[in-house]
Amino acid sequence: MDERRSDLKKIIMDTKTLPTLPGVINKLNSLSNDDKSSVQEMARIVSADQVLSARILRLANSPSYGFYRVSTISNAMILLGVNVVKSLALSSSIFEIMEKNSVGLWEHSLGTATAAGIIARKLALPEVEEITTAGLLHDIGKVIIGLKCAEQMPLIRNKIKLDDLYISDAERAVLDTDHAEVGGWLSKSWFLPDKLSEPIACHHNVACSEDHRVKTSVVHLADVLIKASGFGDSGDSYVPPIQQLAWDQLKLDEALLQEIVVELEDKLVEVKNFSLELASAAVA
Amino acid sequence: MQKIPLNLATAEMVLARDIFKNDSPTGMPICGKGTELSDSLISRLQQMGVQSLYVEGHPVWQEGDRGLTEQLADLEKRFSKTMDNRYNTTLLEVYRTHFTAAMGDDGGRTEE
Repeated sequence: MDERRSDLKKIIMDTKTLPTLPGVINKLNSLSNDDKSSVQEMARIVSADQVLSARILRLANSPSYGFYRVSTISNAMILLGVNVVKSLALSSSIFEIMEKNSVGLWEHSLGTATAAGIIARKLALPEVEEITTAGLLHDIGKVIIGLKCAEQMPLIRNKIKLDDLYISDAERAVLDTDHAEVGGWLSKSWFLPDKLSEPIACHHNVACSEDHRVKTSVVHLADVLIKASGFGDSGDSYVPPIQQLAWDQLKLDEALLQEIVVELEDKLVEVKNFSLELASAAVA
Repeated sequence: MQKIPLNLATAEMVLARDIFKNDSPTGMPICGKGTELSDSLISRLQQMGVQSLYVEGHPVWQEGDRGLTEQLADLEKRFSKTMDNRYNTTLLEVYRTHFTAAMGDDGGRTEE
């Protein structure tokens, strides 16, 4: 059992065949660790890649961020924060594959990012942008599993359908691991900050987060809300249980939940248009 | 009341909420609720960069759009695994109320 899992971990973490992490990210990483580097310098690196620039501007202008009319990369970096742009660069290259392969998962992720942003703002939490990014990336493990374990995917899908399982349970039955754990491995190997990797790794089990329990709770709830709303397709169609720990961490109650749902459903109309636009741009 | 993207708006639809400049509630109001849309108004709105608007009723049925009964049945199915979780039943109730209100002519309107 454990052997299969560590084998799989090796396969999944084989960096040579990991689909992305373009050179841009490494350069950004080294620049952002250097105190003397400026945002302009980093923006220049990002600008060198026009596809990436377009995506970052698009995301910065997307409803999930709520900043409209951001037209330069350096503005986007100042508004979103360098870390966010870094993870956007990361996610946009991942989502390039995702958009093509699974519009449903892309929508689910974008929706979760939107929901996470709304919850964070409603609760006046710090680092709304990071929470939104964590929401965007929370199911990144599914992309990796889809890429690295393509052969087992039909098995997983079958299990979900026949046994009426959550996708995590089906993944564990077939692979001995699940997308949250894989996402955790991946974010470690990409040196993502804990405030992103914990929500990714623990969004189905808030108790396993240590330092960023509130952020993890937000992403957990955002995922639940998007599944409840029936927006996008995350692999199965059942709403996961809201964990008491998350409920308590966020000090939720029915009235608050109602406000969040109304605002979310309102925003989702725009998100839907945004994702349709992206899909049609990808075809064109 | 339904929120639709501007490119699906047609003449004779009636606005259910004010439209603001830059889609921002703090912006300048451009067009008040209760206004009946016309082709020229729609193209003016396009020029001003308005992206979406609220109209009365549920006039736009897109492929895959579902009626309220179907929507509620889907909703119950999505929650069917977690009906023993009290937080989820609370959420189900919130969503049920929201969907019902959103599909009605007068429902879903928040205080303005």
